Amino acid sequence: MAPAHGDGSIAHRQHALLLKRILFFGGKGGVGKTTCASAVALAASREGKRVLLVSTDPAHSTSDIFQMPFAAEEQEICPRLYGLEIDAQLEARHYIDNAKAGIARMFSHAVAKEAERQIELASAMPGVEEVALFDRIGDLIVNRFDAYDLLIFDTAPTGHTLRLLRMPELVMTWMTALSKRRRALLSLNQEIDQVRLAPEAINPEDDPILRTLEARREKLEQVRARLMQHNFTGFVLVLIPERLPIEETSRAVEVLRESNVNVCGVVVNRLLPADLDGEFYRSRRRQEQVYVDEIKERFGSYPLSWVPQLPSDVYGLESLERVSSLLVRESGSPK
Amino acid sequence: MSWEDLKQHVGEFLHGYFVSEYERKLREQFVDLNDLFMLQCFMELVGLPNPAAIYLLDVYPFFLEEFHTWHRRMGMDRSPIGSMPCC
Repeated sequence: MAPAHGDGSIAHRQHALLLKRILFFGGKGGVGKTTCASAVALAASREGKRVLLVSTDPAHSTSDIFQMPFAAEEQEICPRLYGLEIDAQLEARHYIDNAKAGIARMFSHAVAKEAERQIELASAMPGVEEVALFDRIGDLIVNRFDAYDLLIFDTAPTGHTLRLLRMPELVMTWMTALSKRRRALLSLNQEIDQVRLAPEAINPEDDPILRTLEARREKLEQVRARLMQHNFTGFVLVLIPERLPIEETSRAVEVLRESNVNVCGVVVNRLLPADLDGEFYRSRRRQEQVYVDEIKERFGSYPLSWVPQLPSDVYGLESLERVSSLLVRESGSPK
Repeated sequence: MSWEDLKQHVGEFLHGYFVSEYERKLREQFVDLNDLFMLQCFMELVGLPNPAAIYLLDVYPFFLEEFHTWHRRMGMDRSPIGSMPCC
């Protein structure tokens, strides 16, 4: 594997970014999350890694950048770079269908038919797509981890993603409480059976409800453990030097720290190019400098990388390569 | 009835009395715990968000029977959700 060609410390840290096994890219809408995620994915694949780039953003700009449709299944986009687009709606459908199939296997036709109605009802509830999306991400993190050197998730705008990362914690607490209650119930039931000298006391471990709850909980626990493994999982926050993105990034950092997720980089995107002249640009740059200083002060404890605005939109492999080299190699700190 | 018989009957009666009393207490406790458990599983019904609702899809069918006794005990004559098929 080729080493990074960086000469500055920032390039060195960026290289560390490529050493991670799972990366999430997040940030306010429109700051260039997808571009940065794609650029890092491309850079990693050029270094000889097998990379899976997963788009979870309903905007699905990944397809536009690579000028190639991303499918719901993994497919090779460039050498060693695989792409996949999660369609939350479709995943929710899958999830519901799976639940139904499981029921049809276990129960009589009449029960299954009635239960199906209940499930249809539940599937219309808000949050179902979110859970399905999280399930799919969790599935990739756990089951496709060994198939790739690096998994990159291009996520939806910040708020949504943070909720997603906190979900296992929340749901697990709930599931734990449920299975604890169920267990207490069952042991009470067992005691009653004993008092009545009932011939066949039911073993709590055979209870299908408890078993289902526990299986779910274990799966969530696995995902949670991976998300919090600081040495190979990291979150990269992308922002542009402007007021609102800075504030949002600051909140995100806070939440991620609370949730014990490692922030392994902050990318400052779309800096004004240094070589422009004219009163308008000088004035813009003076204003930008204020934000740049603020970013350095507030996020200086995380590896920062700087990406200037390019003369044209990032669209297609060629322009992506430019961003890629800027992100991963160049140590170009502004001013 | 001999004295021995009487002693045995009284003994059995007392034993039965206390055991059934104990069983009744246990059952009461069971019912309370079960109500709490069902409430946690069907929180949507009382208008509270249930973070695990979709994960409970897998277990809903196991609940069909218990759900019926539960909603009756909660004072609802008929199943509060039309799709739960009990009544």
